[in-house]
Amino acid sequence: MSHSQAEVTQAEASGEFEPRIVAFLCKWCSSAGSDLAGVSRMQYPSNATPITVPCSGSVSPMYILSAFKKGADGVLVSGCHIGDCHYIEGNFLARRKIHLVKELLGFVGIEPDRFRMSWVSAAEGAKYSNVIKDFVEDLKPLGPQNKMKADRS
Amino acid sequence: MINIQDMRDTARGLLTKKEVRAVIGYRRSTNGMLAEPVVITDPAQADELIWDPTCFHNLSLYLVEDRKFLTHVRKTADAPIAIVAKGCDARSIVVLMQEHYFERKDVYIIGMSCEGSGVLDERKLAAKGIRATDAAFDGDDFVFATAQGEQRIAAREVMADRCLECREPFPKEHNAVLGENKTGRELNAPFTALHRFEELDAGARWKFWEHQFERCIRCFACRSVCPMCYCEECVVDSISFPVTGQTSAEEKANRVRWIERSATRPENMTYHMTRVLHLAGRCIDCNECERVCPVNIPLRLLNNKMEREAREEFGYEPGASIGGPSLTASFLDTDPGKFIR
Amino acid sequence: MTKKRTGVFVCHCGNNIAATVDVTKVKDAMANEEGVVFSQDYVYMCSDPGQNSVIDAIKDNNLDNVVISCCSPNLHEKTFRDNAKMAGLNSFTCEIANIREQCAWVHKDKDEATAKAIKISRSAVRRAGRDQALEPIAVPVTRKALVIGGGIAGIQAALDIANAGVEVILVEKLATIGGHMLQLSETFPTLDCSQCILSPKMVEVSRHPKIKLMTYSEVQEVSGSVGNFKVKILKKPTYVDPELCKICDDCASVCPVVVPNEHDLGLTARRAIHIPFAQAIPASYTLDESACLGLNPVRCGKCKDACDVGAINYDMQPQTITEEVGAIVVATGFDLYAQEHMNEMGGGKVEDVLDGLQFERLCSASGATKGHVLRPSDRTVPKEVVFIQCVGSRDPAQHCAYCSKICCMYTAKHARLYKHHVPDGRAYVFYIDIRSGGKGYEEFVQRAMEDDGTIYLRGRVSKLYRKNGKVRVLGTDTLTGQNVEIDADMVVLALAMEPSKGTGEIAKTLKIGRDKDGFLAESHPKLKPVESVTAGIFLAGCAQAPKDIPETVAQAGAAASKVIGLLSQPTLSHAPTVARVRNSHCSGCEMCVTACPYNAIHLEHGKAVVNEVLCEGCGSCSATCLRAAIEVKNATALQIHEMIEACLA
Repeated sequence: MSHSQAEVTQAEASGEFEPRIVAFLCKWCSSAGSDLAGVSRMQYPSNATPITVPCSGSVSPMYILSAFKKGADGVLVSGCHIGDCHYIEGNFLARRKIHLVKELLGFVGIEPDRFRMSWVSAAEGAKYSNVIKDFVEDLKPLGPQNKMKADRS
Repeated sequence: MINIQDMRDTARGLLTKKEVRAVIGYRRSTNGMLAEPVVITDPAQADELIWDPTCFHNLSLYLVEDRKFLTHVRKTADAPIAIVAKGCDARSIVVLMQEHYFERKDVYIIGMSCEGSGVLDERKLAAKGIRATDAAFDGDDFVFATAQGEQRIAAREVMADRCLECREPFPKEHNAVLGENKTGRELNAPFTALHRFEELDAGARWKFWEHQFERCIRCFACRSVCPMCYCEECVVDSISFPVTGQTSAEEKANRVRWIERSATRPENMTYHMTRVLHLAGRCIDCNECERVCPVNIPLRLLNNKMEREAREEFGYEPGASIGGPSLTASFLDTDPGKFIR
Repeated sequence: MTKKRTGVFVCHCGNNIAATVDVTKVKDAMANEEGVVFSQDYVYMCSDPGQNSVIDAIKDNNLDNVVISCCSPNLHEKTFRDNAKMAGLNSFTCEIANIREQCAWVHKDKDEATAKAIKISRSAVRRAGRDQALEPIAVPVTRKALVIGGGIAGIQAALDIANAGVEVILVEKLATIGGHMLQLSETFPTLDCSQCILSPKMVEVSRHPKIKLMTYSEVQEVSGSVGNFKVKILKKPTYVDPELCKICDDCASVCPVVVPNEHDLGLTARRAIHIPFAQAIPASYTLDESACLGLNPVRCGKCKDACDVGAINYDMQPQTITEEVGAIVVATGFDLYAQEHMNEMGGGKVEDVLDGLQFERLCSASGATKGHVLRPSDRTVPKEVVFIQCVGSRDPAQHCAYCSKICCMYTAKHARLYKHHVPDGRAYVFYIDIRSGGKGYEEFVQRAMEDDGTIYLRGRVSKLYRKNGKVRVLGTDTLTGQNVEIDADMVVLALAMEPSKGTGEIAKTLKIGRDKDGFLAESHPKLKPVESVTAGIFLAGCAQAPKDIPETVAQAGAAASKVIGLLSQPTLSHAPTVARVRNSHCSGCEMCVTACPYNAIHLEHGKAVVNEVLCEGCGSCSATCLRAAIEVKNATALQIHEMIEACLA
């Protein structure tokens, strides 16, 4: 796909490493929170591409592993604060499951800063913007993620 | 000290009275010292059964095979099937029942206490340069028959790590049980091997696993031997996708290719990490995966890591209760959340 | 599978998107995507011509699905899904790519924003390509409503719903309806008698043919979902038959047990068998089991002997009643923040320091002092009274962070009432700000200052304690910078309002959320202020947030109108984006059953079965399933897989 190569070269041309982040946002809190960041015109880096899912509890560990395998430099999962889940307890299930994923990633030696989970409510536009800013800052020194990335020519 | 004859009598009795349709146990293999799994249906075969330090297989795999076979031939069992089970094996049977793979009434568990001992790690024995033709329990020792005569070795020197670290070497869930309950003996503290590994820094850990995942040939032996890997189709490898009458063309087309077939590091890594996550809260540390791995990938470290997280962070013990909730299908209000921003 | 034909529509949103995103580039990039047969951009996609162009393009190009790259789906997903439907497509095959809020508005660099907009749009194209046509699920509706809480909010909601011809069950935890409003003496800003305006409504409730009143009852369990809730209500025994009780007071006059009267906030006493106040609804005595000597003629039995009509029955048992309702209004009200928390205000241990409700009872003609303002310690007329605002409110460090909203007004009212009772008395008010927004409210406060001569002191009180038979109040007047010391005869604290005790439990029972302060959470702070996050459950009154009576009545009416609207339809339509089981892969392990927050999954013949009416499509099941045997329609693993790819390609 020609345009995708164009995107890559664009990032490379600018010189600095620009991490590519996949951000799984729950529809009710974090996606709405990022909407609020937009409405409030809060500026943050463009490195994270959001994928809206129903609930942080619907994020299967496969999604996270798969994103890394497909070359993500960082993966973010963001949901409603504990007690605020639109689906009552989806984020409780997420918290437990994602804990295991995070521990496993660290255990095999993947930099802990490559994976992040956050609670961002619909009212926390500023928080969402900061989560992305911090994540990008923390990822930059790590360079490209090649440990899990499938090498496909 | 377990008298092998007691186990044989139990098996014979069950088969004679037709209380069970078969007994899954161990017999001497043709390959020298080692035991091998056997399914007997004739009471006369009961004398073939053995019990020694080479009975390391987790026979619950054959309960899974039995259930798959029955489903395939569309039959229901007329009697339970009996199985010889160590503490660890019994826990894996509990997990299978917790997941309704079969019901309690379908199985007759002949529990075997490890009586404070454990099973042999062949690699440790080979490292000592010992070639044996027979092995036997004797208190704190294993006794081997070798060409040079009988050789007695302290069991803990050649015992599998998982047995050294075992917290419950007694089958709590059982119909009959042989041997004394010596739960509470700990030869090594739980997770000793894991702790030792975790002393490495992240860079060294990555070096280690990079090497291991490079070496995997994706023969799937680990998956084939695992009683918990009973899925008809593995989510990460749709080669075994069951095409039945109900399978629609759309369903066939909609398979997700999470992982490519090529045995490269990223694919291997994703496969193993998925497997480990799918075993979290279900793996009872029989370590059959690591034992059968032809390239000796230390899979136990990965599974142990999840087991310790479950235990320490969520207070969860795999295989503890048939009626309890599964680890990842449940939660506690007190689950840790500090890692979340 | 036949190739799907996708159309992409990129909106400029005037300059909102186009200023930072090169929309032409996005349009061209999408035209190159696999499956995309039509791609166009337009200045305002949501305008009439824009919408028409979508409809025309679908028809002209035989599109199977469409992606609109525009603003947040919260704004126009419905608009464009309706367009898709008008053009003959299934509305669920329309996806929104949010390139405004999540892209154009938050980035400055045009190249970067354009690259991201392409990724977002491409990801939506992949998702749409796998979208299934879905039809909303029709759910039959039970035409009956449940109102929890019998204060003014619950009473108003119940009456409004019942007057529309819908049956209502009104459940109240206490022995009478009326709530806190009944404890009030007069109401601001008109100073009309609270009881006089509320009592007729209470009588109307008790006589309404469509209202089933259940006092001394609590909701124990709620299952089901919008349109079809099943509710278990525990009716506690009152040990008095309300049909027979003549409210003659013979029983209470012989009862040997004396306990504080909750209705008068402990300023008076009552017997174990009692009626909370003379006009209680239902008009019947209640035997307080916790105070009674023992519900047994051997222990006491005096009330039973005294009752001529035989209304008292010690063998009355608690009853659990199951009701089916289509909608629920939660109006469980507030409690005052406990004085015990306020150490700087004496922690509830200093005599003649009252809370606002106690002062209401002092002023009320039916209260402890028959409407004479007398201080509790020695029943003398207090000549100097200090009213303190914001006690516990607006104090994020130690108490409640929020403003309790009504305290400025009721304090002004208290000061005025006091001055009307004791014209030669002196009233001081400590305040931080005066918040008197509302019709006639500012004028009311002005009158408290000007007509009634209340002395308003801007500042906080640092300490109060008992001294020489008075309450010494130490504070600062921040306008003059002077320290103030007043020896008051009585002090009235305008304590913060907090959700009533049991709000947490009721929220759990109903599976509705609470906000950070414990109040019941509305679904949207502006656009859905009376809806809870759970469909079919509505909120009214102070359980949702502190508010005054007119606001409470308005909210109760709004909640009632939502209920009436909901129950006026023969069936409800439920989102069809629910979980679906792949039988070939399901092993019946029950992990999804355990994980489901809605009890929407059960096993049948060893396979999981989803109750589509109960399923909300959260996907907890799919993330838990080890064998991809269950997933949410139009949010499948395959779709996410391809979206991940699209984001990283």
